[in-house]
Amino acid sequence: MRVYVNDIEIHLMTGMTVRHALVYSGLIVMIKQGKKVYDEAGNEIGLDGALTEGERIYLR
Amino acid sequence: MNDFHGFANPYKPYGSNEAQGGLAYLATKAERLRAERPTLFLAAGDMIQGNNWANIFQGKSSIEAMNAMGFDAMVVGNHEFDFGQSTLKKRIDEANFPVLGANVRGMSGLKPYIIKDIGGVSVAVIGVVTDETPVSTAPKNVEGLQFLSPADTVSKYVKELKDRGMFIVVLSHIGFVADIELAKKVEGIDVIVGGHSHTRVDKPALIGKTFVVQAFEHGKVLGVLDLNVKNKGIVRAEGRLEPIIPTGEKNETVGEIVAKYQQQVDAIMSDMVGESLVELDGTHVRLVETNFGNLIADIMRNVSGADAAIINGGTIRTSIKKGPILVGDIYGALPFDNYIVAIKLTGQQILDALEHGVSGIEEVRGGFPQVSGIVFTYDRSNPKGSRVKEVFVNGIPLAIDKEYTVATNDFLAAGGDGYKAFGDAVKSSKDYEVTGGAMKGDKLVYCDSGRWLRDVVVDYIKSQRVVSPSVEARIREQGKTD
Repeated sequence: MRVYVNDIEIHLMTGMTVRHALVYSGLIVMIKQGKKVYDEAGNEIGLDGALTEGERIYLR
Repeated sequence: MNDFHGFANPYKPYGSNEAQGGLAYLATKAERLRAERPTLFLAAGDMIQGNNWANIFQGKSSIEAMNAMGFDAMVVGNHEFDFGQSTLKKRIDEANFPVLGANVRGMSGLKPYIIKDIGGVSVAVIGVVTDETPVSTAPKNVEGLQFLSPADTVSKYVKELKDRGMFIVVLSHIGFVADIELAKKVEGIDVIVGGHSHTRVDKPALIGKTFVVQAFEHGKVLGVLDLNVKNKGIVRAEGRLEPIIPTGEKNETVGEIVAKYQQQVDAIMSDMVGESLVELDGTHVRLVETNFGNLIADIMRNVSGADAAIINGGTIRTSIKKGPILVGDIYGALPFDNYIVAIKLTGQQILDALEHGVSGIEEVRGGFPQVSGIVFTYDRSNPKGSRVKEVFVNGIPLAIDKEYTVATNDFLAAGGDGYKAFGDAVKSSKDYEVTGGAMKGDKLVYCDSGRWLRDVVVDYIKSQRVVSPSVEARIREQGKTD
């Protein structure tokens, strides 16, 4: 499954979550520093949220 | 409410210092709102699995609380299948509310839709779950079931129910992005109440004439959508998320249910699962092969049917003393919500993974490998990346071009601790397909995201009663004699 974290393409197993995307990107530590994850429409998403093929998520 | 995942007690989410949620507080808020006007109280899936409060009772605790809260309907989420079909059937039987799953074939007890009269309006609630469910749970949990396309299923029922003059609500567990696509693709849906992506939709999205909502996760908010309906159409819609924090009044009945099961969780931590004839070494897992590392890696290989297993030593956080092993000992040693996956790796990728594993030994990194089905030698005096010398898989020298099935945890599979080999394998994988309810992946051959590793280990030790793992020279450091 191809997803984008801060517009950078990564590949995860189908069924993996926002948390896995951040682990892959080395950004999971940023959550502890108070950052949150948002979808393309600007909605906050939880770390255990399911991802879909081609989805774009942003950490800010 | 969606994606509750058994978070019945308030908790501080990762990265937050403020306690949020609390089912008894949410119940009070829902009760007050429901007293104001005719309502539907819906659960959009993943209600019975996740937190220990739910897992230990295989979701019975969640259903009991939901009964007390007076839910009108729930759709199954992918994680509702995690305890197997017979357990899910029990949960459905225990529920005082209908459990929906219009696109699931072969599961008795699930209804495609319900029809309710809400303030004089006939409302049809159609339930659909993601058709990727077979990818996220152990194959046996969905054996014989078929998960049809949610969009095709909804389209079929909308046509039928719209012709009967119904107001259409889709209760979905397919994720916010898919909900939006569903609203674009299928005309005639009035509202989609969604889950799966844990999306915090503060204001409802309006796609054509369809309102799409979702209420975040873990009961940290209660989703509210106020609608005025005239001549079967929405003339006014106002949506909001009510934050749930553990202050103020809490529903006494729900509070008692939450406390009752929490007391049992606490008691179960003192239950003995078996005995170890040796100390289980979780202290040196970042430096050398240990017996505890071997035990965990062996269990993972055994459960997944893989040729080998590679885990990061950092998965194991503490040692367990020789003698009786308590549930709490295992939970303490394996505190992370990790699950088992098995992926096809080439011999080269196994070699790369082992090289990476021993590359951080000077820094005592958590990535140091613990293995099963693998024996290898390394030399730390060599540069990082060329330390591994000999590798054997099940006694046979590693073949660089051969493919092996390797069990690991989801953390390493996602590239955690800097492991790239599993991710490389996934990247080269063709799309998986689901045939007859079973997941057929090109590289991913086993995935049980609904069962935490610690629970697998508890069950294994219970089945064995006595364990006595040893260090077997699976990982040999060249030049080291002890």
